[in-house]
Amino acid sequence: MIALPRGWRWMLLVATTVAALAMVMLPAWIIQPFRPQTARGVAFSYALRSISPIATIVALLIAAWLIFTLWRGARWWGKIIVVILLLLTSVSTWFARQNHFEWMFAPLAGAAYAAADAATFVDAADLVIAVERNGEAAAYPIRQLAYHHLVQDDVGGVPIVVTY
Amino acid sequence: MDGRTLHFHLFGINNQNFIMRDEETGSWWQQISGEAIQGPLKGRKLVHVPQDEISFALWKREHARGRVLRPDPKVAAAGHYAPADWESHIAKMPVATNTHDARLPPRELIIGVTVDGHPKAYRMADIRRQNPIVDSIGSVPVVIAVAEDGRSVRAFRRNVDGRAIELFAKPSSSPVTFIDSASGSEWDFAGRAISGPFAGHQLEKIDVLSDYWFDWRTYHPETGIFRVGLR
Repeated sequence: MIALPRGWRWMLLVATTVAALAMVMLPAWIIQPFRPQTARGVAFSYALRSISPIATIVALLIAAWLIFTLWRGARWWGKIIVVILLLLTSVSTWFARQNHFEWMFAPLAGAAYAAADAATFVDAADLVIAVERNGEAAAYPIRQLAYHHLVQDDVGGVPIVVTY
Repeated sequence: MDGRTLHFHLFGINNQNFIMRDEETGSWWQQISGEAIQGPLKGRKLVHVPQDEISFALWKREHARGRVLRPDPKVAAAGHYAPADWESHIAKMPVATNTHDARLPPRELIIGVTVDGHPKAYRMADIRRQNPIVDSIGSVPVVIAVAEDGRSVRAFRRNVDGRAIELFAKPSSSPVTFIDSASGSEWDFAGRAISGPFAGHQLEKIDVLSDYWFDWRTYHPETGIFRVGLR
């Protein structure tokens, strides 16, 4: 790596940063609400999201090594650019481990239930999703489901995921 | 799935229907079908659990000893839960799917019913007007009914001992009650004959999906539509 000319190492550093960014930005761009998705787009996003947690680490290591070799002898503005590039790769590495859909719709942590008579938080006219299994009945108010989108539960011994 | 319990997270969106990801295998699942579309479990399908989408008042009447999901205090305090009139807000949101099927407006509220692999859409407005709708899907005689709240919809196969029956709403009944023309028996919204010669009979329930036309159409491109006056 050291044997590479300085200019090449600079180009490699920029390429690594761009690759790391693209890896996390493309799926987020393709899988966005209010846009149509194609089956190929979804498959491509799945592939990127599957490899990005490891691939961004690799990119970060390569970038760190290149920066280490480029730091000495770099001018002040070169050092600033290097720091920005490292920062971008770090953000990509972090984002590859995030689920931004759960930033927007927090998952329900520790679902709690009330008896039908005690459920004063639901209006009579509110719609609920109702499930009955083996004599056990559970209701999931849609106004709550419309936010969380999914709730995991066990009704009458059957593990279910309620989705909306 | 195969004796293993999967745990799901909201993970994306595919043509305005969400994708969830399971923690155990990382596969991606389509909400409307319960089918894995990517990952190790691709092509597998979760078992659909029969469910109702009904008003809380009706559910409570039928299940006095049931339990209700509590709101998450943090989410409620932040005001993230939908307001009571949320449906009118959603109705104004854009539609971005590639549907050129103009048989109905994209955000028309419909009830989707699938019998023996034949999907059919019923306009909510038609069900309210014609309650109950006596129809057939494929060769299966069905009835689609709405409760007195105007929101809770159920569908049943309208067979008694292998013979199709016709049902009519009992005028100004509340809770809503239906009468069949064959015997004059009275039927409740749960599909049970509560009086008359058929008393004790239970119609077989069919799951319904309350949905927007664009979403139903995207995932059931071959769907039929119920037309008032046509059978």
